[in-house]
Order: sequence, then C-alpha cells, then structure tokens
Amino acid sequence: MIEFINVTKHYPGRRHVLRELNLQLGKGEMALLTGPSGAGKSTLLKLLTRLEAVSHGTLRVAGVDLATLRRRHIPAYRRRVGVVFQDHKLLMDRTVYANVALTLQVAGMSARQLDHRVRAALDKVGLGDHWREFPETLSGGEQQRVGIARAIVHTPEILLADEPTGNLDPELSSEILDMFRDFYRHGTTVLVATHDQGQVDRMGVRTLHLAHGQLQEKA
Amino acid sequence: MSLHIRLQALGNARDTLLRQPIATALTIIALAVVFALPVGLFTALSNLQQLLASWHNQAQISLYLHDDASPQAVAQLRRQLQQSPGVVAVRFVDKNHALADFQHYAGMTAAIQTLGENPLPASLIVELNPLAQSSSSLEAQVQQWSHEPIVRSAQSDLKWVARLQAIVALGTRAVYILAILLALGAVLVMGNTIRLHIEQRRDEIEISSLVGATKSFIRRPFLYQGLIQGILAGFLAWLIVAIAFAVLQGPVDHLANLYGTSFPLHALTVGEGFLLVLISAALGWLGSLVAVGRHLDNTVS
Ligand SMILES: Nc1ncnc2c1ncn2[C@@H]1O[C@H](COP(=O)(O)OP(=O)(O)OP(=O)(O)O)[C@@H](O)[C@H]1O
Ligand SMILES: [Mg+2]
Repeated sequence: MIEFINVTKHYPGRRHVLRELNLQLGKGEMALLTGPSGAGKSTLLKLLTRLEAVSHGTLRVAGVDLATLRRRHIPAYRRRVGVVFQDHKLLMDRTVYANVALTLQVAGMSARQLDHRVRAALDKVGLGDHWREFPETLSGGEQQRVGIARAIVHTPEILLADEPTGNLDPELSSEILDMFRDFYRHGTTVLVATHDQGQVDRMGVRTLHLAHGQLQEKA
Repeated sequence: MSLHIRLQALGNARDTLLRQPIATALTIIALAVVFALPVGLFTALSNLQQLLASWHNQAQISLYLHDDASPQAVAQLRRQLQQSPGVVAVRFVDKNHALADFQHYAGMTAAIQTLGENPLPASLIVELNPLAQSSSSLEAQVQQWSHEPIVRSAQSDLKWVARLQAIVALGTRAVYILAILLALGAVLVMGNTIRLHIEQRRDEIEISSLVGATKSFIRRPFLYQGLIQGILAGFLAWLIVAIAFAVLQGPVDHLANLYGTSFPLHALTVGEGFLLVLISAALGWLGSLVAVGRHLDNTVS
C-alpha cells in the first residue's frame, strides 16, 4: 500500500533529511514511526500527504506514483488518505459537526448524503453527543478525537497521524492510539509518528525507527 | 458540477459576509458610490442631450424657393424633407408671410412699398434635432437640399451645431474615462476586500486543501463573495442615482419654469438599472478573481 524505494528528501539549501530510504507497508498493516526530534518523521508523513515532494526516488501509495503526480491530481489523491495532526487543525469557528463534514463536502457530497456518515464517525470516536458544540468548549483529547473523526469519516484507505498524542496525558494517549489500532483491525492501513516510547512498548505493533535519514525495523 | 456544491459555496460566502456585517456594508457602500458617480453623470448627460434635442427651433435651415415653384412641387419637397433623418418639423412660409415678417422685424414698410412688388421669396423652414446626426452629414444634407430644382438658395448656421456636438462628445468621452478609472477602482476595492478575507481564512483554506479540496472548490466561495457584493452594490448605486435625480427634480422644475417650459428628468430605466447591476456584479467577480489568483496560490500547496 505504501512503498518508499530509495527516497531522498532535502529541503532547499539544507542537508538531506531522508536519504535512500526504503519502506514497505502492506494493505491493512499498521506501523508506528519513532525517532529523535528533527529526524524527519513529519517530513516523511508530508511526503505521503503530498505536502512535500520527494527529491529523488520512488514513492507509491495505493497505486499512485507520488513522485510524478500532477498538481491537479493531488486533491483526488488526498481524499483517499486521512490525516491527523498534533495540533488538531480544527476550525474553531465551526461546530464539531461542520469540522467533520468538511472532508465529505470537499469531495462534493451534499448535506443530506453526508449526514449519517458524519454522525457515524462522531459515534466512533465517542463524540456523538457533542456534534453541536464548538471545538473551544472541548478538552484537548476531545478535540483530537474530532480531528480523528474528520480523518476517518470518508473511510480512507490510509490513515496517517503526526504525533496525535503529543499534547495529551498518558491515559488519553492510550485511548487515542487504541483508536488507531481499532481502525487498523478494521482494515485501514495506519502509520502513526510518535515520540512516546511508553506507548510504543504498550501497543505491540510494527515499529520503524527513523534516524540519520534511514529507517530501522524494531522488534 | 452539481447544484448543491454551488449552493453550499454560496451559503459559505453569505455566512462569511454576514459574520462581518459592518465591513461588508462598508465595502458595498464604497463600491456603490464608485458606481453611482459615472452612472449618475451618464444619466445627467443623456438628460442634457434630450434637453438640447428639444431646442430644435435653434437649429433651423431656410430653403428659399423660386417664385415659379408649383404648389405641388413645394408640397412634394416638404414631404420629402419631413421624412429626412433628424427633421423635427417643416414649415412653409409664403411670400406674403415673408413680407409681413420682414416688415415686422425690420420695420422698413416704406422702403418695401416703394418697390411695388413683393421681392421676398417663399421658403421652407426646416427644424432640426441638432444631435440627430453629425454636423458634416447635416451639412451634406443641406447641400443636397439646396440643389433641389425649386430651391433658389439655402441658409443655415450649422457652426453652433458643430460646437454643441463637440461639447457633448467631449462630455461623453470624459465620463467614459471616469467610468473606466472608477471600474478599475472598483476591481481594486473588491480585490483588496477578498484578499483580506483570504488572509483571515488561511486556516480554513489550508485544512480544506489538506482534506482534498480542489482549487476551484476553495476559490468558489470567494468568487461568490465578490459576486454578491457586486450585485448589492449595483442595486445600491441604482438607488443612489434614483434618489439623486428625485432630489434634483424640484430645482430643475423651478429652473424650467423660469424659462417657461417643463423638463422632467429621466433617471435610469429598468433595463439600464439591471445593466448597472450586471456590470457591477461582473466587476465584483473580476475583483475577487484577481485576488484569488494572486493570493490563493500562496496558501494552497
Ligand atoms: N519546510 C522546511 N524547510 C526547511 N527545512 C525543514 C522544513 N521542515 C523541516 N525541515 C527540517 O527537516 C528536518 C526534519 O524535520 P521534521 O519536522 O521532519 O522532523 P521530526 O522528526 O518531525 O521532528 P519532531 O519530532 O521534532 O517533530 C529538521 O532539521 C527540520 O529543520
Ligand atoms: Mg514532527
């Protein structure tokens, strides 16, 4: 499903962040991405959301060659992927419902078509009763769950998350990561970057360690 | 493209505008004033043209006829003249009337009487709308009339027609230039307003783009904002012009009275009003198109 072949990434005027990196993540697999700060975890995920382009090498995701993907085809590709961010990236002046509905609206779905999907997604993350509220009135963990609902409401093939638990206490972190493991068990391909060694040990899933621009499998 | 996507973008645009009612109102008023100025001047100019056109007794051409012209020939020429473009009326003055007029104005009764015979010719007096055709084609026409077999000579003073037309042309040109400059100003005002909206909604644009919004999906609400504000500004400009003309009607009536006439002002017709709304909608759209083209690409990656 996700295939990095000798991928090199450098930002303009900087040394390489990723060098000749290889990774295979099969359909329905889950992996955690660890590594020291500045190792390039976010960069790797940005390649997958096509916020950044690879410098050299081949990157294929769900049959799409991201290295040669045309600009105008990026939106359609992004709709096949769900992304969760450390800082949630919620729209504070929109309700929880509207935040989640956005993913389906941009895909051209009408209000009637998307309603039951939005409610189902909110139920999945345990926020079914909060749909009318604004993100400001929610706790950090709840806000992150809104972010997750937005990322999965369109049942993406791939779910990516960049330190989704970075701002949460251990208990909430476990809750969130368990949620990702749930999606993985239901067939979604999941890749989550995290700093949190405790959670990595607890989860017991495939772990990839990023250092010096290369990935290492960890037992 | 399904309708609900457009409606949703329209709703989004409306919500954005309503969220900042004062800023929105100020933009619309600014645009309306910008539109009302040239439109008001155009309308004033067209009223002036109507006024000038109604001064036809100022633009007269006298065609002096041969004494032996038959009444049938005179009647036929008169009909022909009446059908010519720009001719408002044709009057026949026979020899006796010509003499009476001459005596009345010149007071030379004695001198004329010594001649024994009436020396003055009959004439056809042609009253023209001075703005109906160019002064050169008018001149050509007079030239042609003067070569009619029964016409002895033609007398006309077309210089002032030429001057009048030159002044009207100058006024029209000046208003056109003003209109173009103000249209440009309107596009800039709209563009700047939309630019501010884009700045304010960077988050929304970024997130929409991240979840797979196309460029046109992101652009559309901004374009609709420009369109909505343009339409509202157009209607407001229409209203401003209508009110201005209603307010001016009183003094104009008074002035016309002093000249012993009446002159009803014509504000915009319904067709012209809707044309104004159409143009201002187009300019609003254009302004936001410029802003979106210039500022959205920096945001959408
Ligand atoms: N847009 C950018 N332009 C230039 N350099 C960048 C950019 N983004 C990241 N970098 C650099 O690339 C390197 C990797 O950054 P990245 O954010 O991917 O690391 P990370 O592993 O996510 O770190 P953290 O754990 O702190 O989030 C860093 O040295 C960073 O300074
Ligand atoms: Mg990072």
